[in-house]
Amino acid sequence: MKTFFASLLLTLAVPATAALNVVTTTSSMGMLVRSVGGDAVKITVMAPPDRDAHKLQARPSMMVALRNADLLVAVGAELEVGWLPAALEGAGNGKIQPGSAGYFEAAAQVPLLEGGKPADRAQGDVHPAGNPHLYLDPPRMATIAEALAGRLASVDPKNAERYRQGAAAFRKAVEARVPGWKQKAAGVNGVVPYHKDVNYLAALLNVPVLGYVEPLPGIPPTAAHLKDLTSRLQGQKGVILYTEYQSDQGPAFLAKNLGWPKVRLPLEPALEATGEDYLKLMDRWVDGIASAK
Amino acid sequence: MKVRASMRLALGAVSLCATLTSFGQTPSTISDEKLKALEARQSEIQKTLEALKAPGSSAEDKARLAALEQQVKQLQKDIEALKTGSAAQPSPGPVEAKGLVTKSFPLFGTSGQVTSGTSFNPSISIIPDIVYYRDSEKGGALEMIEEADGFHGAHAEGGHEHGGLSEGFNLRETEIAFSASVDPYFDVWALFAASEEGFSAEEVYFQTRRLPAGLTLKAGKFLSGIGYANKQHPHQWDFVDQNLPYQLLLGDHGLNEKGIQISWLPKLPFYLQLGAELLQGENEKIANYMGGDEFPSEDPDAEPVTLSRQAGPRLFTGFVKIAPEIGYDHALQFGLSYASSQKHQEVHDEDGDGIAGEVLDGKAQLFGADLVYKYDSPREYGAGDLVLVTEYLFRKKDLDILGTNSSAVSKQDGFYFQAVYGIAPRLQLAARCEAAGLTNEQNENGVNSNFGTSKRWSAALTFNPTEFSRIRAQYNRGEIWRGGEKDKLDQFMLQVQLSVGAHGAHRF
Repeated sequence: MKTFFASLLLTLAVPATAALNVVTTTSSMGMLVRSVGGDAVKITVMAPPDRDAHKLQARPSMMVALRNADLLVAVGAELEVGWLPAALEGAGNGKIQPGSAGYFEAAAQVPLLEGGKPADRAQGDVHPAGNPHLYLDPPRMATIAEALAGRLASVDPKNAERYRQGAAAFRKAVEARVPGWKQKAAGVNGVVPYHKDVNYLAALLNVPVLGYVEPLPGIPPTAAHLKDLTSRLQGQKGVILYTEYQSDQGPAFLAKNLGWPKVRLPLEPALEATGEDYLKLMDRWVDGIASAK
Repeated sequence: MKVRASMRLALGAVSLCATLTSFGQTPSTISDEKLKALEARQSEIQKTLEALKAPGSSAEDKARLAALEQQVKQLQKDIEALKTGSAAQPSPGPVEAKGLVTKSFPLFGTSGQVTSGTSFNPSISIIPDIVYYRDSEKGGALEMIEEADGFHGAHAEGGHEHGGLSEGFNLRETEIAFSASVDPYFDVWALFAASEEGFSAEEVYFQTRRLPAGLTLKAGKFLSGIGYANKQHPHQWDFVDQNLPYQLLLGDHGLNEKGIQISWLPKLPFYLQLGAELLQGENEKIANYMGGDEFPSEDPDAEPVTLSRQAGPRLFTGFVKIAPEIGYDHALQFGLSYASSQKHQEVHDEDGDGIAGEVLDGKAQLFGADLVYKYDSPREYGAGDLVLVTEYLFRKKDLDILGTNSSAVSKQDGFYFQAVYGIAPRLQLAARCEAAGLTNEQNENGVNSNFGTSKRWSAALTFNPTEFSRIRAQYNRGEIWRGGEKDKLDQFMLQVQLSVGAHGAHRF
């Protein structure tokens, strides 16, 4: 017991370290903060990269992270709506509530795809504010990085220049890659993602989305829907794209019946990913899309 | 001064184009920076233009060409403007133009109104709950549970009942929830339970948004933070009905009181929440209050007895929750709770003649311990997820029998253990075993009586077509001690629960 209190006091007595304490919802946001902030920031990622960030539940450890945060970086557009508000409510940290300088939502920094559609759940788990899966769009991520640099600078002015440079370097790295990606994806007839998560990348590369493995967002594939997709896409070229936590059954059925390749890749980079790791992951997605040719 | 400077910088950032960041720089360097950036961008576009102008370009390229040429012209203008120092609001400037701004008015002026209309509406969600119910006792099983030996007694005040199911179709309470931020300092939640009989305020409270040091203050009417299941509304339950210990020791709603709660999350590398509440004290099972009521005695010669009055708050609670860090896939939380009721009053009328046999006045205490484990599986739509919950409650009532010199002390407890497992995508199987009255003793006038332990087993199968709808079938098997005899009962429930409106976020 004595040692417990001693360690408690020690933890309390340790002065706040110089590094800015940033908590992000996903590892792609963590990557962005790392690219912009380098070692001037300490990053805690709340959602594991191999899980659907939309389906998570609030856990006590998220509240611990949020309790100690100087800045919260979320994807936003209601991607984390099922758990972030509850975690924030339990965190007792006024600095990072939405509307405060400590709250940063990526979706609020850039225009979103598919916004303004009717808020009707008969259409599945829709996001009327726009598609939240913007982390698969490197140019948008570069814009978000620039806004993030500004925000980090406003919270931590002494490192403003380094944040600006971090964001600029990320933009440069993205722009160096985009032409190559476009070239690779040129002439692809189309893709069939499992969920509406590949849409930003497809839009960037000018690749049509021919359908989805899910009949509606958030509804698992049905036999009728898969048969319908097969007959509709028969004779065309394409590729089925899905991720780790999405079931293999639907994509395997389509791949077999359409004679298409199926490509399963992580949506999120690893927890400690750098900007380069993220862009390498995007390289793999582009290769996946290009495999439709 | 520092604040003003940073504000000016912030304004500058707004007016600058998105490719530039200006924080932490002086206005003159911003202009220089901008100039450089614009020039760089211009030369870049120029290069792209040259490339596009090369023979063999398609119609699409031509369109891009036109767009790029337009951009180059605009950039040229910007650069000229910057060089001559007359850039359109390059850096810190007023948010609004000074002086009068001329506007063109319609001929007779508009009769419109500048209004935000309904844009300030709070988030709203509505959760209907429809249950088909049958039991082996011609609809009397729920009453039998309420009459379990040792637990029957407290005079139940009126009020709505979650568990009041009749045989056949039931429209249980429809939850109507509103929530919004009041201002930068407060959030408000208002959850109403609408039934065929009326509309009642289940929870209406405000909570602070920005108290320092990890403190949060909550006040109004709310579900107490004690225990684990106590905070859950019926739509968060993993079963159709409330668990047995809560039902018998706290009532079907758990501890739902008016009052104030303070909770503190100290800055630690693991989760520790400390909470305390001052509550009015109206819970029928541990803080029943009928202060001032007068009861004639069964004995016509005796004086009528009057229950003592005491102003609220009469109920105090404290709770601790602790959760170690065990990685992304698992979560574990342990909680301890205590409630002390300064006033608990009961009226017993065993012979049912409408005249109180015994009027009791005293205090009550409740101790609780809870343990929750959750596993988040990598499979989709909840397949493979596992949630284990167990709770133990102990209640002690220390009451004086008014009009006599004797007292009645009772000690009772209960526990439940439940497991919920995602057997397939969208399909959950849940099992629960529970007991009430492992300790079930009463000492009245020095005479000790012990009662039996009532038990119940439940199994539920839940299909969640989406996050917003739920279809559940549940079977209960109970062994309830009544009047010293063990009665067996069976219950069957079929439930449809739907959620429309704002997407809810569930607490741990």
